[in-house]
Amino acid sequence: MQASSVEISKVNKFYGPFHALKDVDLSIPPGKVTCLIGPSGSGKSTLLRCINFLEAYDSGEIRIDGDLIGYEVPGKRMSGRRLREMRRGIGMVFQQFNLWPHMTARENVAEGLIRVRGMSKSEAESRAGEALTKVGLADKMSNHPSRLSGGQQQRVAIARAIAMEPRLMLFDEPTSALDPELVGEVLNVMKTLASEGMTMVVVTHEMGFAAHVADQVAFMEKGELVGVDSPDRILHQPQDPRIQAFLRTYHERNSI
Amino acid sequence: MFSIPVFLESFGPLFWAARNTLLISVLGIGLGLIIGTLICAARLSPYGALRRFAAIWVSFLRGVPLLVQLLVFYYTLPVIGLDVPAFFAAIVTVGICASAYISEIWRGAIAALPKGQAEAAIAIGMSPVDIWRRVILPQAFSMSLPALVNELILLVKASSLVSVVGIMEVTRASQAQAATTFRPLEVYLAAACIYLLINLCLAVLGRYLEHRTAV
Amino acid sequence: MDFAIFEQYGPSLLRGFGVTVLCWLLGTVFGMALGLVIALIQRYAPRWVGWIIQIYIEVIRGTPFLVQLFVLYYGGPLIGLRLDALPAGLLGLTIYGSPYFAEIFRSGFRAVPHGQIEAARAIGMAEPAIIRRILLPLGLVSSLPALVNFSIILTKETVILSIITVPELMYQVSRMSTETFRYLEANLVLALFFWALVETISRIGHRLEARVTKHLIEERT
Repeated sequence: MQASSVEISKVNKFYGPFHALKDVDLSIPPGKVTCLIGPSGSGKSTLLRCINFLEAYDSGEIRIDGDLIGYEVPGKRMSGRRLREMRRGIGMVFQQFNLWPHMTARENVAEGLIRVRGMSKSEAESRAGEALTKVGLADKMSNHPSRLSGGQQQRVAIARAIAMEPRLMLFDEPTSALDPELVGEVLNVMKTLASEGMTMVVVTHEMGFAAHVADQVAFMEKGELVGVDSPDRILHQPQDPRIQAFLRTYHERNSI
Repeated sequence: MFSIPVFLESFGPLFWAARNTLLISVLGIGLGLIIGTLICAARLSPYGALRRFAAIWVSFLRGVPLLVQLLVFYYTLPVIGLDVPAFFAAIVTVGICASAYISEIWRGAIAALPKGQAEAAIAIGMSPVDIWRRVILPQAFSMSLPALVNELILLVKASSLVSVVGIMEVTRASQAQAATTFRPLEVYLAAACIYLLINLCLAVLGRYLEHRTAV
Repeated sequence: MDFAIFEQYGPSLLRGFGVTVLCWLLGTVFGMALGLVIALIQRYAPRWVGWIIQIYIEVIRGTPFLVQLFVLYYGGPLIGLRLDALPAGLLGLTIYGSPYFAEIFRSGFRAVPHGQIEAARAIGMAEPAIIRRILLPLGLVSSLPALVNFSIILTKETVILSIITVPELMYQVSRMSTETFRYLEANLVLALFFWALVETISRIGHRLEARVTKHLIEERT
């Protein structure tokens, strides 16, 4: 599998007067897992959504394998067609799963293969079957989302993304909407993906996952990227007082 | 060809007839409020027979077209010996028809009130009548004001149907004028403008009330 | 009660009922189609187009159906639009219903969670495919109860077509009652036919709803 790299430089984003991202610089190396952590409202989800241009950034550059996304040149939006082509190489998994409720698990995965990759229905369905088997849902293929648990739904959503053979995967708090006992099955699928050398950017509150799986951890607060480093140095020997404060609250909240 | 002078001249007599349109709509909704409140009370009462009567009243009047109700009132009542003036029959028909919708508006508003409010009133020992008078109805009324204005807009439009029993409201007046001037396009468009004007004013009122009650 | 008159008037009443059902069916189908187009334009077209459509919606919703029919049927010939009563009535019903249907579709589309559209964008689906595969199926399902409800309201509006001499049920019933003075029987016929029509439509509607929402309702096992 070919893995993408992402270069984010001097990215700014405004919602009206609110400055959501402030001069963010971040380099995401190919085949590695980058976790974005920080308090809620810090801009980490916004940054993630800028990478596939679901959210338009206002200035700066985001390059995927050297190609600018969203703009042809800074200031000039790229065509919808070109944007869709670039998005094909980027998989995304949402907090709320966002499965299409009128389609079965298999149809959810096959839909993109048919409409975007132009595959025949039978080819798409067999590919969808492989992707679902990979996330451990071979026996749930013809279930509608309403008949699946949250963890199963999120695994279908991951299968939907990997079936498109992306070179980069974005995860927007993939386990935050799950009951605690269902978090593990989703994280396991993500670990497998990471071990296969997929470039992954993960917005998460699961510090355990960040500590054990991430190659680098980026901490954001109030729209600023405060620090990027190995998980060990961010999570266990943080230098910046803001990171120390965040981790202190996190540990207090999670101690029994 | 469309003639602007003819169009503008049509407004004079139609404005005069608009008084009747407004009169029928406003008196209709007034009557509808009175009957509708009684029907709603019957619907929510502990007596099965009353509840059934109210349910039939509502479903019949909402199921049968207003034009049919109007003709029944106008043509059938004389047959059984009740001779009613057309204008009176029109207002009564419109009012009775509105009562079905208004009772449903009340019922919806009352159902939307938090149950805890009535319980709080019971807890401090208020009587059922006082609970209705002081707690439930005032809130239900202000909550349903926008819906009542909407109902009034519907009545203004529905009042065009009373033209078939010969009452000189906007639609009937425009028919009479079209017959004498042979310019139906201009005249009927002028009539449409008058209805639009009335309803836009009402819609503005409705939006104002909605904002006021939202606070 | 005198049922003998039905021997004479039965056939014309049945024909009238047929015309009523036809007017209702076509008026609903065309009105829905026009309403859907309006709702899609409002969602995707530039803002000034949206304003023009909003004016159309306000004008149609602010004026009585009867006056709209008069403009169309009696005023139309002055600008070269010469229509028979039935086509004029159908066109009128289509226009009259379209803004209400458009509003229903618009709120149906709004009820589709934005995330499900975003998920389609994220895998690179083009907008026409998103409309066809995601927005329409989900939006239509959530619009269905309101669509059924409004098409039932439209059955009642068809009687107004009798005023511009469309030979539907009300027209035939009025003819019968003015010729025979049997008002009671006439009104009984009207009530029965309408009751049957409304009952049938709402049953079909409920069955349809149950069918299309089968997979959308969360099942807790």
